Amino acid sequence: MLQPKRTKFRKQFKGRIHGAAKSGTTLAYGEVGLKAMEPERLSARQIEAARRAIARHTKRAGRMWLRIFPDVPVSKKPAEVRMGSGKGSPELWVARVKPGRIIFELGGVNQQVAKEALILGAAKLPIKCRVVTRIE
Amino acid sequence: MSELITLKATARPRAGKGAARQARRDGNVPAVIYGNQETPETINLEYNELWKQVLRGHFTSTAIELDVQGTKHIVLARDVQVDPVRDTPLHVDFQRVGKDGVIRVSIPMHFVNETQSPGLKRGGVLNIVRHDVEVYCPYDKIPRYFEISLEGMEIGRSIHISAVTMPEGVSPVIKNRDFTIATIAGALKGEEETTTTTAEAGAPAADAKGAAPAAGGKAAPAAAAGKAAPAAKAAPAAKPAAKK
Repeated sequence: MLQPKRTKFRKQFKGRIHGAAKSGTTLAYGEVGLKAMEPERLSARQIEAARRAIARHTKRAGRMWLRIFPDVPVSKKPAEVRMGSGKGSPELWVARVKPGRIIFELGGVNQQVAKEALILGAAKLPIKCRVVTRIE
Repeated sequence: MSELITLKATARPRAGKGAARQARRDGNVPAVIYGNQETPETINLEYNELWKQVLRGHFTSTAIELDVQGTKHIVLARDVQVDPVRDTPLHVDFQRVGKDGVIRVSIPMHFVNETQSPGLKRGGVLNIVRHDVEVYCPYDKIPRYFEISLEGMEIGRSIHISAVTMPEGVSPVIKNRDFTIATIAGALKGEEETTTTTAEAGAPAADAKGAAPAAGGKAAPAAAAGKAAPAAKAAPAAKPAAKK
């Protein structure tokens, strides 16, 4: 799964996701893409599941670009632990996604197949997504 | 060659975000006409009419005849600002066509005969470096697209601008080098396997929640020595739960 190679600090604040995406909102590489319509934290596991679903449907033909990276550590306290005693330990890595952000792009694949693959990939994500195509 | 798009517009006396937002609330799209050493004009376009033209394609590579309350302008859409979520137009920039009529415009590339490429048949991938190419051309002779045939293309071959046949009067903006438009790359083998290995390596760390959750080895920063202490605190805290 995706995660940073090294980080300066182990834990981060939770934060909130406000507003729409400012960058990464248009297709940059491929012909078809998957655009997030809701704000959410996408875990590395969810991203990997979506990536695999897309790759499987396209039969690994063409090229896929992942436009997000899970670089935010999320900590959790163990089960049945009383509150206090400091912040929990890092459990997973997430990518903060704002509405409008392109998550995946596909190129070199039949457009119909690419759309189907992206819909399958979107089903692995906890947010509503939309398939976008390049308008010349 | 492209035909002229005709769009009707009304003058927008006030500039700025207040007037622009009011225009959007009224079902219009604010726009501006500039260039040709004349004063810029702020205008409003009818949303539905504009949206239909944008969806039809080739909007930024077709000359447009703008009718601003009787005054006609020959312009080129230089930029369409869109809503980041819904991709609907928010603002359009139009540039007046100069006296000589020659404009700088991006023309999309079309790749044909993909089935006749032995490289693609063997599992190669068409890696498009440039989806469109900037050219100089007369405004009334803008090509709709440039067609590139992939017939007989093997893996490792690349297509350069010199391979594109351009109509008379059309010349690329970049002239000093034969830049690449697309390449046929080999298929990426073992991509799935490598990812699977990474996932397996990460799985035990994620599952081992009980004893030392912080020892997931995920962050592993260089200065981890001092910071392991809070993680160690979590372990004693887990003891009462274990007793139950």
